This record gives sequence, structure tokens and C-alpha cells, in this order.
Amino acid sequence: MQGLMLLAPAVLAYAVFAFYPMIDVIQLSFMKWNGLNADKHWVGLDNYRYVLADDPVFWVAFKNTLIWTFLSVIFPPLIGFGLALGLNQNIPGRSPLRALFYMPVIIAPIAVATMWRWMFDPFFGLFNSLLSAAGWPNLIQDWLGDRNVALYSVFIGYVWEVAGFSMVLFLAGLQGVSQTLIEAARIDGAGRFQLFRYVTLPALRPTITIVLILSLINSLKAFDIVYGMTGGGPAQSTQMLAMWAYTQAMQLGDFGRGSAISVVLLLITVAIVIPYLRWTLKRQEAYQ
Amino acid sequence: MSGVASPFRQAGAERVDPLLVALWIALIIVAMVWIAPFVFIIFTSLKSNATVMGTGAFSPPTSLAWENFTNAWRRGDFGTTVVNSTIITVIKVPLGLMISAMAAYSLSRIQIWGHKVVFLAIVFGTMIPFQVMLAPIFKQVNSFGLINTYVGIILPYLAFGVPYQVFILHNFFRDVPKELSEAALIDGASHFTVFRRIFLPVSLPVLAALLILDFVATWNEFAMALVILQDPDRWTLPLGLMSFQSQFARDYGQLNAAIVMTVLPAAIVYLIFQRYFVSGLTSGAVKE
Amino acid sequence: MQTSRKLRRVALFSAIAMVVASAASAQEVKVWTLTFANDSANKAWADIVKEFEAANPGVTIKVEGRGTDEHKSALRVASGSDQGPDIYFMWGGLGLGGEFVKAGLSLPLDKYYSQYKWDDELLSPALSFSKQYEGGRHGVPYTFHGEALYYNKALFEKAGITTAPATYDELVADAEKLKAAGIPAITFGGTVNWHVMRLMDMILETKCGVDKHDRLMSMQVNWADEACATASFEEFHKWTSNYTLKPFMGIDQAQSFNLFLGNRAAMMLEGDWLVGQLKGENRTADFGLFPFPTGTDRLYGFAEYNYISTKSKVPDIAAKFLNYLESTDVQQKHLGDFGSISVNKNVKYTSTEPLDQKWIEIFGKFPATFVNGDQAFPLDVTTEYFRVINEVASDNLDPKAAAAELQKFIGNRS
Repeated sequence: MQGLMLLAPAVLAYAVFAFYPMIDVIQLSFMKWNGLNADKHWVGLDNYRYVLADDPVFWVAFKNTLIWTFLSVIFPPLIGFGLALGLNQNIPGRSPLRALFYMPVIIAPIAVATMWRWMFDPFFGLFNSLLSAAGWPNLIQDWLGDRNVALYSVFIGYVWEVAGFSMVLFLAGLQGVSQTLIEAARIDGAGRFQLFRYVTLPALRPTITIVLILSLINSLKAFDIVYGMTGGGPAQSTQMLAMWAYTQAMQLGDFGRGSAISVVLLLITVAIVIPYLRWTLKRQEAYQ
Repeated sequence: MSGVASPFRQAGAERVDPLLVALWIALIIVAMVWIAPFVFIIFTSLKSNATVMGTGAFSPPTSLAWENFTNAWRRGDFGTTVVNSTIITVIKVPLGLMISAMAAYSLSRIQIWGHKVVFLAIVFGTMIPFQVMLAPIFKQVNSFGLINTYVGIILPYLAFGVPYQVFILHNFFRDVPKELSEAALIDGASHFTVFRRIFLPVSLPVLAALLILDFVATWNEFAMALVILQDPDRWTLPLGLMSFQSQFARDYGQLNAAIVMTVLPAAIVYLIFQRYFVSGLTSGAVKE
Repeated sequence: MQTSRKLRRVALFSAIAMVVASAASAQEVKVWTLTFANDSANKAWADIVKEFEAANPGVTIKVEGRGTDEHKSALRVASGSDQGPDIYFMWGGLGLGGEFVKAGLSLPLDKYYSQYKWDDELLSPALSFSKQYEGGRHGVPYTFHGEALYYNKALFEKAGITTAPATYDELVADAEKLKAAGIPAITFGGTVNWHVMRLMDMILETKCGVDKHDRLMSMQVNWADEACATASFEEFHKWTSNYTLKPFMGIDQAQSFNLFLGNRAAMMLEGDWLVGQLKGENRTADFGLFPFPTGTDRLYGFAEYNYISTKSKVPDIAAKFLNYLESTDVQQKHLGDFGSISVNKNVKYTSTEPLDQKWIEIFGKFPATFVNGDQAFPLDVTTEYFRVINEVASDNLDPKAAAAELQKFIGNRS
């Protein structure tokens, strides 16, 4: 009884405002509904058919989401790993450097977007000013306006924002690498590279898994930064699934199509999450 | 490992390691890249529009245009958005932590029917980005008539804060020695007392870390607020900044002043409570 | 019992928040409108509200402004919940205005039209939109705007252009002259899709003529079959690739205005409200103005309306306020703050500013208007129209295929 009372508030909030919408979105994806009035009716697979076959933006958003996720799993963790390795050494100023690299993580993503949008300004922004000052005017780009570079420009801002997150996790992992083991290996005459390859890296394996998975999940959350930097433009070329679902439902007033897009994204997410979940639980049970 | 008294040396070594010096220089260069956006934003925020368009990106402002801040404050209605963000954060963060801690205690110490399923459902929630289903969340809040209210935004915030916090606190509570709580229970104490008198005090460091992390997350949240708070009187800081950008993007100085004002509170909190961030992040994810 | 005390506190918080949210007095009239780019409009609103409140004790008018896109989505939500304004701003016409009339957000105003005799007081081209809707008269015109080409006098002179072009071909010839002189002919901001769209709308009117243009915009004829539609996209592409200040896809219209002020481009396709902004910058003397030579007798323009919400509990006071807003005295006093001309017939024009006078002349010259594409199309088609235009502007879609691409989307609508 007491247990239930303690459990109830959290579970209630979670069930009503997080879990139910997850179920609801599936139901909505089979409906035609503008989200507001009482006129809501069943249309079967119509929304999916439209989204997958006729929607001129869906596959662009799909492709962008894949590219984005792929890049997010590679670059921020890699940079974070490099930074963590460096900052784990005996060098001066480690703490302020660590603080600096982590700083962008705590800034509101929408503020990061606004900052970078201004830096990418084609006329007065940072990048083009630097390029013209450096005498490379032919490298000047319409960073957020050229469909060939816009997605990658946004991604650069994203790397700046999230690399510190991976760094902190890796630093924590590195602290866990046994110093005695390293000492022992060194005494045995292991070189720098060998130490890294045969002692540090194996010890970091769980950390690496966690960082990759978290980067992957976080990349699917990248809504704010794209919304703030390009709004999906130019010509929907930086559109993402989460944002396109939002646009369809909230801006164009088609909750059915929006939900169908959400379900596609949800399926992708679940496909990634389930194996990880099993891994986590196994670790938990092993622990108990 | 924290001694910087004799930097650039391998542990135990007498000689300066040249590779470490090179590494350090590389890190300083990366740090300069990392800090450049901040410098650029702060410089721009203190320049008049004419200066922005007439001078180089990194030329420091010659006469400080403080009026950018007062003008941006007025035009962006920061008076309202700061108050809203504060109200929402101050209510949501402690309340959310409270219900999460209660639930985590219940799940880890009291055998209730179905607690495994509940735990699984909650852990599942840590992986699902709510950005995927903004439309059904909107629908749910709207069905309670809570659009444009503080309650309407706080409830889903609570719901989506629960999984991560419960997951971490559950892990932590599980490690509290059984003898501690069982002795008290045998003496006739209720679970509420055990929770309050024993578990809360011992978990203070974790709670503090989660509190800080959740503060930043709530303070920065954009996507859900975008959907639920449509009334400018209820807007939070990130919404205010986005709106400011879409309306006054041509007043470069003021735009950057608005960015600085949005970022500053979270940045200050971060600099004060830095160590909690790291422990908060790592206590959950990387647990050895 | 710590827990239950906490819970009670939660309940208390919720209760307080709800009370605070709904504590608005019955005599409060909430107005949702756009934020105005020029400060004089903001000041005028503040004045008008203050005067009205003084004349009507117990009534408060609460004006809330938003950016265009936020305003649209906020209204959509308002139409489905009981939160919302008493008076809302929206353009006149079947596209945007009609969307909300259809959603049941707009209260028919026939009663107030006869009570306040708005038909006798207001300009008939501005009023015409209120009669297009089903189920009665909706909304009251609040401003009437035209859009035309502003030009930089010095840059025109530098390129050797002495008279304003009278035909579309002359306009293109002038753009070519500017290009030869190394001057980008026109500037746009591409991030806000509707800015570049204006050029496309104009060219469509030029190439297709009145009748065909309207039938294309109401989707009664097939875009892919109409040669003039494809020709328009090709012509549009010529402008974006040859005559537009680049880059433009990564900036918004406000920034393009900065560049226009900075003499970086010779022309800008803007509304009469730009005169107010030029006045704010003290730069009116540097710029001239001429209508886009479409060759038809229609002015590119639109009416902005205020509608009363069906959910308003104080429609009478709301109507009274709208009547006050349109009244001759108020309109005369704030002439120029909202635009160059007033919706009120009885207002006298005395401005000595040449740009203002030019606008009065333009408004007098054209008997009819045609509206912007985003006000003619339904929202989803507008989104696609934007996308197709932007694809053409960024050289990613062959302009020859553009009309067919748009038609494909229109054809797929149920």
C-alpha cells in the first residue's frame, strides 16, 4: 500500500503524459483529423500510403535523419574521445579546459542555433568574415542557404554543442581504468601505443558502447537546433523526420499524416533501443 | 592524478615529456576554436548595427553599446519570459525529483505486484525522444484544457523527467545496505519514514547532481514549450529568443544581446555547480 | 505524512495556476495580432488602446503580438481550445482568412456591419474580402496594402536608367543594365519563403494574365498544362540566377532590407509599409517607387482584417473597439502609421513625402487587386509552393519541371 502511494505520482504522470501519447500516436496515424475539432475518422493506411508514396518531403527528411544519425555517432564521440584522452594527461589547465569544452552542452540548443545562425550569416557572420579576411573569398558559402552544405553547416554547430557530452563520459571511463594495471604494463616495457591498445581501450569498452548509444538516441532528439537554424529550409532540404512530423501536425493541421511520420521514426528508435535495453538489463541482473 | 605541480611529466617520470607539450598545445588550439563563438557573440552584442556591418568579426567593440541589452530586454519581453521560465523550473525540478525518488525507492525496496513491468516501461522511456510525438502530447494536454498554462507544461515535463531520474536513483538505492532499512522497518517505522530519514540523506549527492542537470534541461527545453505554450504571456526564455530572432534578426547587436541574456543564467549555474554536472552524468551512464 | 502533504501542495499549485490563468476579467478584450516591424505602428496601437480604454471605463484591451508563423499556429490551436483571443488579426481572402472562417473561429458580423455602417465608411476594394466567405460577413478590414518595386535612385542613375520601366520587358532590360554595371538588380531574403514568392506571383500575373492567374491560384486549372505557368517558372529562375543579390537563401527579409539600405542592390519588392521603415531610417529621399509592370490592371496587394472570435464572451465590446479603430478621427490621426493609405474613405491625404504621394497615386490608378500566393492557396499547398519556388531558386529543380511538380502535389490532395 505504502509502496503504491510512493510509486503512484511518478507512474501516473508518466503514464498519462508520456506513455499514453506513445500509444495514441499509433492510433492517430490511422485517422484523418485536424487535431482540433470533433471531425475525426478512420482512414486505414491512407496516411502511410500518402507519406511513403506521395509526400515530396518525407524521403528527404528520412535520408537527412539517417545522415544526421550516422554523422552524430561518428564525429562528436570521436572528438569527445580525443579531448578526453588529452585532458586525462598530466598537463596544466585541465579543469578550465574541461569546463570550456563542456560549456556548450548546458546552453539551450535553441540559443546554440541562434548563435550559429548568426555566425553563418553570409554577409556579416563569423565564417565569411574570416574567409574574406584570410583572402579566400572563393570559399565563401551561403552556409545555411545552399542546399548542398546547409545540413552539414547545421551539423557543425551540433558537434560544437554535444562533443563535450561524450568527452565527460569518456573522462569518467578513463578514471576507471586501473592505474596499477597501467603501471604494471609500463614496467613490463609496454610503449605508449601498446598501453593504449591493450590496456586503456579494452577497459573503455562499456563506456564506448554507452557513448555511442547515447549519441545515437540524442541525435534523434535534434529538433531544436535544426528548427532554429534553418527551419527545414532551403526548400525543405534540411528537413528531419521529427520536425516534419511536427510541421504536418501542428502547422499544416494534419495529425494523421504527422502521426504516421512519428510512427516511422518511433519504429526506427525502438529497433535501436530494444537491443540496448536488453544489454542494460542483463548488466543490471549480472550486478544483482 | 590531480597534481599539476609538475606538469608535462608522465607519472613518476622526472623529464618533461615533449609529446605531452605538443598535446597541450593542440588542446589549447581546439579550446580557442571552442571559445570563438562565445567571443564573437559577446563582441557583437556590444556593437551598434553600423559597427557590426562596418568592422571585422573579431575586432573588439570600441564604444560599448549597452543599450543593445536594454532594448533587447524590452523588445523581446524578457521580463515576462524570465519570470515564466523561473516559475516553471522552480516548481517542476524539485517536484519531479521528489516523485522520482519516491518511485525509485518503492521500486527498489518494496515488492509490489508488477514492479518489474513498471520498471521496464520506465526504462524504455529513457530512450524515447519526446520530440518524436509532439502532436499527441499536444492532444493530451489540450484534452485536459491545459494549453497555455503552467500546469499544462509542468505535467509533461514531469512525465518525461521521470524515466532518467528513476533509473539512476533506482540504481543508487539498490546499493544502500539492506540492514539499514530493515532494522528501521522492524522497529515499526513506515516506508515513508525510512525513505525520508534514511534514503534521502544518504542520496543527497546524487539528488544534487540530478537537480542541477534537471534545472538546465528544464530551463533550456524548447520543443514541448513550442507546442504547448502559444500565448506570449506564458512563453519561456527559449521561445522568447526564437521569436526575437524571427522578428528582429536585422538588429544584429540586439539579437546577440538577447542570446547572451538567454544563455547567462544556465552558464552561471554551470560554473558554480560544475562538479555536480559531471557526477550527475556519470553516476547513471557509466557505472562500474 | 510527508507524501500526502507534498501531494496536497501539488494540488494547491495546480489550483493556483489555473485560477491565475483564468482570472481575466469579463471586460477584457484580448487582441492577437502580428508584431509590427515599424515602431510607429506599435506606438499607434498603444495610443489607440489607451484612448479607447479612457472612453470606456472598465474595459481593458490587451494586445498580444507574434511573428507571422507563430501567429498562424497559435490561432489554429485557439480554434480548437477555449483559450484564445476575442479579436484576431488575419489577412482577408479565402486562403488564410478562409481557413479560420472554415474552422469556425470567426463570428459572422452582419449585425455589426449594419449597426456601425462600415459599408458606408470603408474602401470597397478592402471590404470585398468580407463578402467572399460563406455564412455571412466575416472580419473588418483594418489596413489595405499594396506591394511594388522600390528602387535605389543612385544605383539606377549609375546604371543609366532614367525612367521607371513601363512594361515587363523594359524591367528585364533595366535589370540587365544593372547587371552590366555590376549591380545586383534586386534583393530578397530566402529563409522566409514568402519573400521570394512575391516575385513568382508577379511574374505569374504578367505571363498568365488576370483570368488564368486566378484560376491557377484557385487550382481550377492544371498547372502542368498551362504553358504560361511553366514560362513563369523559367522567367522566375532567370531573375534568381541573374539579377538577385547573392547569396539570398540564407538570409531573411529584414536582413535583405539591411542590404538594400546598404546600397548593395538596386530594387526591393515590398509593400507600402516600407515607407514607414525608410522614414525610421531617415532614408526616404534615396529611394523611388513604381508598380511592378505586370501589364494587367491589378495591383499586387491585400487587405489585413481583424476578425471577432466565435469564442469571445464580449463580442459587442470587441466590435465597438474595431469600429473605433476604423473611425475617421483615429484613422486620420494615425495616418501613415499602419501603411500609406487608410481603409477609411473619409481620410484626407496631406503628406508631402513623395513616396507617400506615389502610393496614393498607385492605389488610385488600379481598380482591382490580386493577392499573394500564400493567401490564395490552402496551407499545405502553400508549403509545397514555397518548396517548389525555393528548389527552382536554388537551381535544384529544372524550371521546366516546376509547374508539373506543383501539380503533382495538388493532384494528390484528397
